Amino acid sequence: MLSVLTAIIVPFLTSFLAFHCAGPGCACLPVLTCFILIPNIAALAILVSGERFIRWISLVAASLELGLAMHVLTSFSIAEGGFQFVEKVPWLTNLGINYLLGVDGMSTLMVFLVACVYFAGTLISWNITLRTREYYVLFSLLVGGVAGAYVSLDLFFFFLFYEFAVLPMYLLVGIWGSGRKEYAAMKLTVMLLAGSAFMLVGFLAMYFTSNVHTFDIRILGHLSQTGFSVDFQKTWFPLLFLGFGVIAAVFPFHTWSPDGYGSAPTAASMLHAGVLKSLGGYSIIRVALPSMPDGAKFWLPLLVVLTLINILYAAFVALKQKDFKYVIAYSSVSHCGAILFGICTMQVAGINGAVIQTLSHGIVAAMTFALVGTVYGKAHTRELIKLGGLGKAMPILGGLFVAAAMANVGLPGLSGFVGEFLIFMGAFKSGFSIFQLLFPIAILAIVMTAVYYLRLVQMVFYGPVKDTHMLEGEGHDGTFIEILPIAFLLVVSLAVGLYPKPFVDLSNSAIAPLVDLIGGFK
Amino acid sequence: MINYSVFLPEICLTVTAGLILIWDLFLKKERDRMFLSWVAALGLLAALLSMHCQGNFFCAGSCPMGSMPMETFNGFLKLDSLAVYFKTVVILATLLTLLITHRHFKAQPTPYPAEFLAILLFSAAGASALSSAQEVVTLYIALETLTISSYLLASFMKKDKKSNEAGMKYLLIGAFSSALLLFGFSYLYGLCGTTTLTGMAKALSSQPVSPLGVLAVILVIAGLSFKISLAPFHMWTPDVYEGAPTPITAFLSTVSKTAGFAAFIRIFWVGLAVPSLQPVWISLFAVLAAASIVLGNLEALPQTNLKRLMAYSSIAQAGYISTAFLAGGQLGLTAVLFYLFVYTFANMGVFLSIALVSAKTGSEEISEFGGMWKRSPIIGVMLLVGLLSLAGVPPFAGFSGKWYLFAAAIHQGYTWLAMTGMVFSVVSLYYYLMVAKQALVSDSADSSPIPVNFLEKSVLLLCIAVTVVLGFWPAPVMKMAETAASSLF
Repeated sequence: MLSVLTAIIVPFLTSFLAFHCAGPGCACLPVLTCFILIPNIAALAILVSGERFIRWISLVAASLELGLAMHVLTSFSIAEGGFQFVEKVPWLTNLGINYLLGVDGMSTLMVFLVACVYFAGTLISWNITLRTREYYVLFSLLVGGVAGAYVSLDLFFFFLFYEFAVLPMYLLVGIWGSGRKEYAAMKLTVMLLAGSAFMLVGFLAMYFTSNVHTFDIRILGHLSQTGFSVDFQKTWFPLLFLGFGVIAAVFPFHTWSPDGYGSAPTAASMLHAGVLKSLGGYSIIRVALPSMPDGAKFWLPLLVVLTLINILYAAFVALKQKDFKYVIAYSSVSHCGAILFGICTMQVAGINGAVIQTLSHGIVAAMTFALVGTVYGKAHTRELIKLGGLGKAMPILGGLFVAAAMANVGLPGLSGFVGEFLIFMGAFKSGFSIFQLLFPIAILAIVMTAVYYLRLVQMVFYGPVKDTHMLEGEGHDGTFIEILPIAFLLVVSLAVGLYPKPFVDLSNSAIAPLVDLIGGFK
Repeated sequence: MINYSVFLPEICLTVTAGLILIWDLFLKKERDRMFLSWVAALGLLAALLSMHCQGNFFCAGSCPMGSMPMETFNGFLKLDSLAVYFKTVVILATLLTLLITHRHFKAQPTPYPAEFLAILLFSAAGASALSSAQEVVTLYIALETLTISSYLLASFMKKDKKSNEAGMKYLLIGAFSSALLLFGFSYLYGLCGTTTLTGMAKALSSQPVSPLGVLAVILVIAGLSFKISLAPFHMWTPDVYEGAPTPITAFLSTVSKTAGFAAFIRIFWVGLAVPSLQPVWISLFAVLAAASIVLGNLEALPQTNLKRLMAYSSIAQAGYISTAFLAGGQLGLTAVLFYLFVYTFANMGVFLSIALVSAKTGSEEISEFGGMWKRSPIIGVMLLVGLLSLAGVPPFAGFSGKWYLFAAAIHQGYTWLAMTGMVFSVVSLYYYLMVAKQALVSDSADSSPIPVNFLEKSVLLLCIAVTVVLGFWPAPVMKMAETAASSLF
């Protein structure tokens, strides 16, 4: 009971503290640097701390992170727009590399997402006993990496933080994973880094070709300053898209994703599916679209077809899976396809939808993976044939899973609906005729999502009880520490779903000027 | 008048080596001889300090102890900041080699430790002199001091067949390549009538491109490529690396390679950087670099012996470095210098780990490295950090190093080369990760701890720290590299 109380009070107090300290009280604090440093310092502290404190350090760090994120979210001025909380320190003068951090409306949402998933992931890992210290060190480093990637405005640091996040992922999957973990870990790492190889060459090409020679993302987004020729854009946009697309698991480079998520430990799947994967769509909006709009328009038909395959193919594959976690993994691939589809509309509502869908998918995928992990921990199998009737043994988890499934399907009132609605509105209004032709097919995907999620709910939680051990005795349902993170994510999802205006406004403050700039469609 | 301070580091090294040889005669007990490695370390430190007190390298123009560049022997030897940089890397690497040697000889004692140390110092003196040579004969002599000592060192384990094979192979191929190099130099002399590099540049710039010049360039490239193991002149590398005692493998992969690049930079960017010949050797280098990257990485994939794997890895690394070398200019040479520093620390850390593990297990097979996370976590972390730095994964120093290498290549329009390098870096990631996986993920049957003494632990920590910190914050070493590179332009 005592630990239950502390588990509520500690995060509450610390996040409140962080929220206030970062506020007007001492405005001198470099908020975004702190945002990157907290998980990394936590990793160091965990490395040297006593065995008993490991989880608590991580929890305190996650709460601080959440407090900082709330501060950024609430004090970001939509009226002002642009990039705020900017920090700039010259880093390497001979290539004009700056330590440059800053957030606009879109990355504010991502910062919030990172903090939420960090918090939930820390709690869901509470029962890890194998090499606990290393686990939490790597988990914290993973968060440190993705947090850095979302707030960096210099391509050097963006790249550094992104790849920095991939490495802990390898070890997390390799050591704490299940199934073919070593194969999955290697596949994931090599594919992601292969994608980033193209990214790096693309970044360097942009640097040397532009008139301004800079890695500053804000400047690279203005064609009038960089002067990229149309031919340059046509050549390099696909390479950048390839690099970012591998992260976003775009067809046919999605194969790392199901294997990786299928094998990863719960918290790693949550962070990877929820946060790191979203980096793909995020960086297309942040880097590729604004710097090479003509290239994007040239390649658009191909991209639309790819993302549609992504949405539909992954949905159909999810329908046929025999493993509980693989269904969720494919569902995540399908949802990321929807995000990319939204981006391809090149239209304010569509891209806004993509941003909101990124946030929503992050929260919801994290929630779903947390549920799968918890159920797996109790039922000791993920094979759908062996599962069944679990709703009787674990009513709370069952109820939460139904909620998560509905959020995935896009039930109004939950976050999934807002994003999808905006994406389809964008597709309908988009000036490219290809969207008018293809967008009914995309709508089909929503139906498919409902089909495979309902099938999942039915197979796992309803029907006859397959494993009769689950009916004997008590305590098969989630414990408080397992329910807490899931409930927390559900609350966030509800908040976005019921009152999306502030979130959409934040996103719109970044997207509307962007669409103006790239000459998209109103 | 001879300005001794120009070659003070070499004096320190050779005097210490002589001292060790003489001192050895008066030592009776086996145990006392181990003490000589401390003498060698002192000699190396003296060499390091002697240079930094006179060069205004760290004090940027305001140092009262002397001014750079300094010349002597009619300008045959010149101590500029480029030379200081190379000497620093060489001496630091030799210091680390000493530490590996210490552990190696504990496991496999030799009756002649003093000779080993002395030859190692002579070898370092050769590498050190090479970096300040301004004239092809001096350069050749310095290079031979380095390589002839290396032949001896590679075959030092008399009773070990593999070590003998390594020495023999290295000698035969090395001698052959030296002959090619000398042949090339003689043509150059015939064309220019001078042996100094600046003189050559002057003479060649007024001449149109001639077949003889092209032939000379080809011969020089072939001769020197053997030393830094650029494909297709890399055949000797795996066998020699595998057979040679571990400290010498470490030495060859860092000091020899660094010295080789010093020679390359001096000869090509000072002597042959003339409009008539430059396109010829640059395109040749582009082919060699691409071939090394492709062959080195692909052949590393099936290796099961870690030293052999490191041999192929070092071939690939030579390829990456060459991409920036051929791009040249301030940016390219800065990238080369920075990467050599980073590469040295990562490689040395890995070889120290290999020495520690093989001292315990008696084998360098990758499977022997299993379960390191429980047997000796620091070795596990060193392998992870060192190898992934070589793969160029952030946040390790190899990443910022590669960023600069490929930036330089793209800057000069060699985008295809940078692309090849990046793609094959991903290939390399596979075999590096396989080793890291063995160390950090897998379990081993034998879970007895690997003994690591305090000094070794500190050095491992130092290598890890350097590799991690330079990844995030490369500015300090980058500045030094920039100063060094700017002394050429």
